[in-house]
Amino acid sequence: MHVNNEEYRLEVEPNRILVDVLREDLGLTGTKKGCGEGKCGSCTVLMDGLPVNSCMVLAVQADGKSILTIEGVATEGKVHPLQKAFAEKGAVQCGYCTPGMILTSKALLDENTAPSEGEIRSAIAGNLCRCTGYSKIVEAIVSCTTDESK
Amino acid sequence: MSDLKIVGLSCPQIDALEKTMGKTRFVSDLDLPNMLHGRILRSPYPHARIKRIDTSRAKTLRGVRAVATHADTPGIMFGPRTEDWSIFAKDRVRFCGDEVAAVAAIDEDIAEEALDLIRVEYEELPYVTDPLEAMKPGAPLVHEDKPGNIGAEFKIEAGNVDEALRNADFVYEERYYTNQVYQAYLEPMGSLVDIDSSGRFTFRIGTQIPSMIRITYAKALDVPLDKVRVIVPDYGGAFGAKMENNVHLVTAILARKTGRPVKIINTRHDDFIAGNPRVPMYIDIKLGATREGMLTGKEVRVVGGAGARVVYAQAIVSTACYRVDSLYRFQHVRSTGYTVYTNTVPTSCFRGFGNSQMTFVLESSMDMVADHLGIDPAELRIRNDIGPNTVSVHGWEIKSCGLKECVSKATQAIGWREKRSNRRPLRGVGLSCCNHVSGNRAFVREFDGGAGIVRVGRDGRVTVYHGESDMGQGQKTAFAQIVAERLGVPLKEISVAEVDTDISPFGFGSFATRGTLMGGNGVLAAATEAFKQLAEVAADMLEANADDIDCRDGNFFVKGSPEIKVPFKDVAEKAAFDRHGAPIVGTGFYDPPTVFPDAKTKYGNISPAYPFGCHVAEVEVDPDTGQVTVLNFAAAHDVGKAINPMATEGQIQGGVAQGLGWTLMENMVTENGKIMNPGFLDYIIPTAMDIPKITPLLVEPVEPNGPYGAKGIGEPALNPSMSAITNAIYNATGIRIKELPVSAEKILAELKNRRSD
Repeated sequence: MHVNNEEYRLEVEPNRILVDVLREDLGLTGTKKGCGEGKCGSCTVLMDGLPVNSCMVLAVQADGKSILTIEGVATEGKVHPLQKAFAEKGAVQCGYCTPGMILTSKALLDENTAPSEGEIRSAIAGNLCRCTGYSKIVEAIVSCTTDESK
Repeated sequence: MSDLKIVGLSCPQIDALEKTMGKTRFVSDLDLPNMLHGRILRSPYPHARIKRIDTSRAKTLRGVRAVATHADTPGIMFGPRTEDWSIFAKDRVRFCGDEVAAVAAIDEDIAEEALDLIRVEYEELPYVTDPLEAMKPGAPLVHEDKPGNIGAEFKIEAGNVDEALRNADFVYEERYYTNQVYQAYLEPMGSLVDIDSSGRFTFRIGTQIPSMIRITYAKALDVPLDKVRVIVPDYGGAFGAKMENNVHLVTAILARKTGRPVKIINTRHDDFIAGNPRVPMYIDIKLGATREGMLTGKEVRVVGGAGARVVYAQAIVSTACYRVDSLYRFQHVRSTGYTVYTNTVPTSCFRGFGNSQMTFVLESSMDMVADHLGIDPAELRIRNDIGPNTVSVHGWEIKSCGLKECVSKATQAIGWREKRSNRRPLRGVGLSCCNHVSGNRAFVREFDGGAGIVRVGRDGRVTVYHGESDMGQGQKTAFAQIVAERLGVPLKEISVAEVDTDISPFGFGSFATRGTLMGGNGVLAAATEAFKQLAEVAADMLEANADDIDCRDGNFFVKGSPEIKVPFKDVAEKAAFDRHGAPIVGTGFYDPPTVFPDAKTKYGNISPAYPFGCHVAEVEVDPDTGQVTVLNFAAAHDVGKAINPMATEGQIQGGVAQGLGWTLMENMVTENGKIMNPGFLDYIIPTAMDIPKITPLLVEPVEPNGPYGAKGIGEPALNPSMSAITNAIYNATGIRIKELPVSAEKILAELKNRRSD
């Protein structure tokens, strides 16, 4: 599989899940485990551009796929506008939901550059946050849409 | 105060960008060479005798390095308050989830497989799960030495309540119930524990109380205090839960048994069943008022469920008993509180610490009093507001108090007057106030206050050491801002060290909304000391008197002649070279003007400052489903001075979201002694689609006792939100919610009843 544009060839037991392979075998601990049951979204990665809960994906299911984790979002030393916005708008408190939240938002904006607030809230509904109440997270994402007057 | 450069600025958290890049290493991300993974075998019964434990098969599973039970512990009873804990159950399990055995293995899967190979023979015993039932004669005893299952009893009284209630024109009397809810931080509890060749433990825990937890754990492990080191990495939220918990001690036992580092992070399921959720309470209230709406007296009785062992429940029950007495000008009060054992998961601190539960009850009651007397609820609060520069019935010295302004701002933001007078069917607005503390002298005997160390290296880089805890609320950044302001350097020059009890000052930790005020004053004192030392060197370089030196924007200058200046970095370097390499180290502390309350009357000023707040909610009720939607929410808070307004707003919005979740959707359901919904599928916390616009409003009367005038925000952010919502439901439907959470079915049934009348 490709992870953050690098090719990896791994031999894994068939019962291993993707989040563990990313964290343990590849050392990419930016992807978090919050529940292990596909309910909190902390483990969100993009698989061929779509957000998935990596705790619900068998590692072998990622064979031949392209995975993007939080470590791959900043490119060539430049942070993504979402990362900058999250930091500057106070959308990060404890930071545990942040990687998953950013990946889901990135997938949304890659597909739709000007979502409404309702569409944003719906897109991130699968990413639980307990610290922020979501307000500043939504503000941060809105600030990255092309029509800022929304 | 208007010439502050960094305090009062809404700057990004100093660690935010790292977090957005996934570079931050949380507790669950850490590993050490040779590390083992642990899992815990927990009781499947709410109450049972352990007849036999057979670990022989588990030990032989390939990859298992140790299996531990009570026999591997010093067998000492301990606890943060009441000493009714043991690391593993000795001969009885007292709740579903109680620790029975544990395994350390080369990976988690093997550890989990090994649990299945441990054979435990149980003999089930009768159990009790409701605190009122547990108090009845004949109820099963959770602890044989605690008759009536009473863990603690609390009484406080002032004035003459009976007379005050007799003299009232109206006495409102009701029973309320606040349920057990789960903090639901995104990173489960756990730790990485290492042991060195001398038997010294190093705990890496996401804990709010690094210094205090050492004391409890040293006792439990039967080692002197200096054999326990606690390091606090970044961790994923807490909201009160992350205090003492057996999961850390089990890890330590495994580390000691294997001589290797061991990591146990709770599965989410285990965290639900054996974390430390909120103390459920039955609260009976009698509230008296004159027909003009002046409160005469209040009597309450609190029964709180501690679960199978006491964590902090008795302090939480006592806080519930009397903190609200200093919100209004009460003179006649009486409260009785019972902390009761039940065969359920031990309950503990959750944002608000008993004051949330009681604020819900008092503010619901105030709403009923307002309704009965025909007085506007906002007006009723203002009439009874305790006000600034006063002493409350229990001797609390309130200096700044912005309650009136909070009420005014919050009501204006929602359009209170308009919406109360032009009511739309099934739509309503509700209001609720709160008071809180910024630190609680009654919580710890030894002292209260804060301390700091500020180190300035030869390169001018400043490192701040504190003893409190950043659980995501932004403590590090608040301290950095305070120190940057005091030293006169840009924020980017400041780094805040990880708390390590080998190096950091002793701090009581982050609870009781004390972090910014106590820790902030501590690091401010340390920065002041460091500044003095540097000013001497700068004075020398500028050929001036040290008293005439100040520092701004990274330059020391002579007051009155700012063009005569020298960079902070140059001063730092000269200081280091003059001292043959020794860095400038400022140590300082804050001694708050508080007292330990009188043992009998509880009288005494326990906090240097008291924050206040007012929440206003607008709701709509669906007549076909009974579902309640919060349309709009305004939350005004007297924070003294917001060190970082953006961060303060974030705290308020997070608190309101938790309050909304508690009121409308969160409930730990226990049946047959088991929690039926130990996961996010069935324990519903708010998602982005459940939260309306929340308007945070800051009121800053500037508290004389706070660092740059700051009080606290953490817990007050939550406390008024539940009753703001239920008071809005009352305005919308006439239905009074007496139990949390709100049940759509009950609202629907009540609406149907009314329609058929």
